Amino acid sequence: MGQTGLWILLAALVAGLAVGLVLRLREGRIRPARPGEDVDPDPSHLPERVAAALGPAVTLVQISTTFCSPCRHTHARLATLAENNDGLRHVDLDVTHEPEIAHQLGVLRTPTTIAYDAAGAELLRVGGVPDADTLLDSLRPHLAPA
Amino acid sequence: MSAGQPVDPRGPRFAAVITTVVLAVVLLTSWWPLLAAQTIVFGIGAFIGLRYAPYAVLYRSLVAPRLGPTAEREAAAPVRFAQGVGFAFALVGTIGYAADVVLLGAIATGFALFAAFLNAAFDFCLGCETYLLLRRFAPGTQTQA
Repeated sequence: MGQTGLWILLAALVAGLAVGLVLRLREGRIRPARPGEDVDPDPSHLPERVAAALGPAVTLVQISTTFCSPCRHTHARLATLAENNDGLRHVDLDVTHEPEIAHQLGVLRTPTTIAYDAAGAELLRVGGVPDADTLLDSLRPHLAPA
Repeated sequence: MSAGQPVDPRGPRFAAVITTVVLAVVLLTSWWPLLAAQTIVFGIGAFIGLRYAPYAVLYRSLVAPRLGPTAEREAAAPVRFAQGVGFAFALVGTIGYAADVVLLGAIATGFALFAAFLNAAFDFCLGCETYLLLRRFAPGTQTQA
């Protein structure tokens, strides 16, 4: 009986360590769009709130919930980035009460930020708090030269 | 629908460390009154307010004065939501142990420990970031904010 508890304790700690390390590795990493996997290749299938948010060049759509504190850090970082770069727009969608939007976009954790071009095609996505400079570098080809 | 004042982010982290230790002791001893106490601790944080959560009180009176102040603040809603998730697992665990279904008690406690450990060691709030995932499995579940 005590044995069972010990094994479950060890399993929980090992699992926690593994998941924690994987999450730390993936945190803020930029992933190019993967059409057919988490990306619907047809932009006309975008959820209405996302389609309505798209700007003239590149739009960073941040998926957040009320219960997510890294979302707030991400918001501050991306808002500054958009302010300082012409053609870049940042929209923070709180989907706490509309989880189906996240489902449609294949988003499992918050914050996830998806960059769209003007036509609504996904360029890349980032899970966790993104690094502003790296993100900007990846988006530069899609932004008009300043 | 305010969840309360923003908190010093080191407070919830400290609480997660204590929670991890408490849950580990529960798993090693199968002593369910301790898990029942932890369930109440979770419940206070989730449903009454973080100010009154025992580990937060401990943090404010014993730890914070030694660390010095910080300007950093964390919103209360995510932390309270996570406490609510912990409450659910700890409650199932307590019922399991008390009803002598030790395996159920231990597994539920193991999940709670997994989440508390991730928070303590990696500063990753499982309940908060996977809220959408939890909603998908339990669409009716709505914790107060």
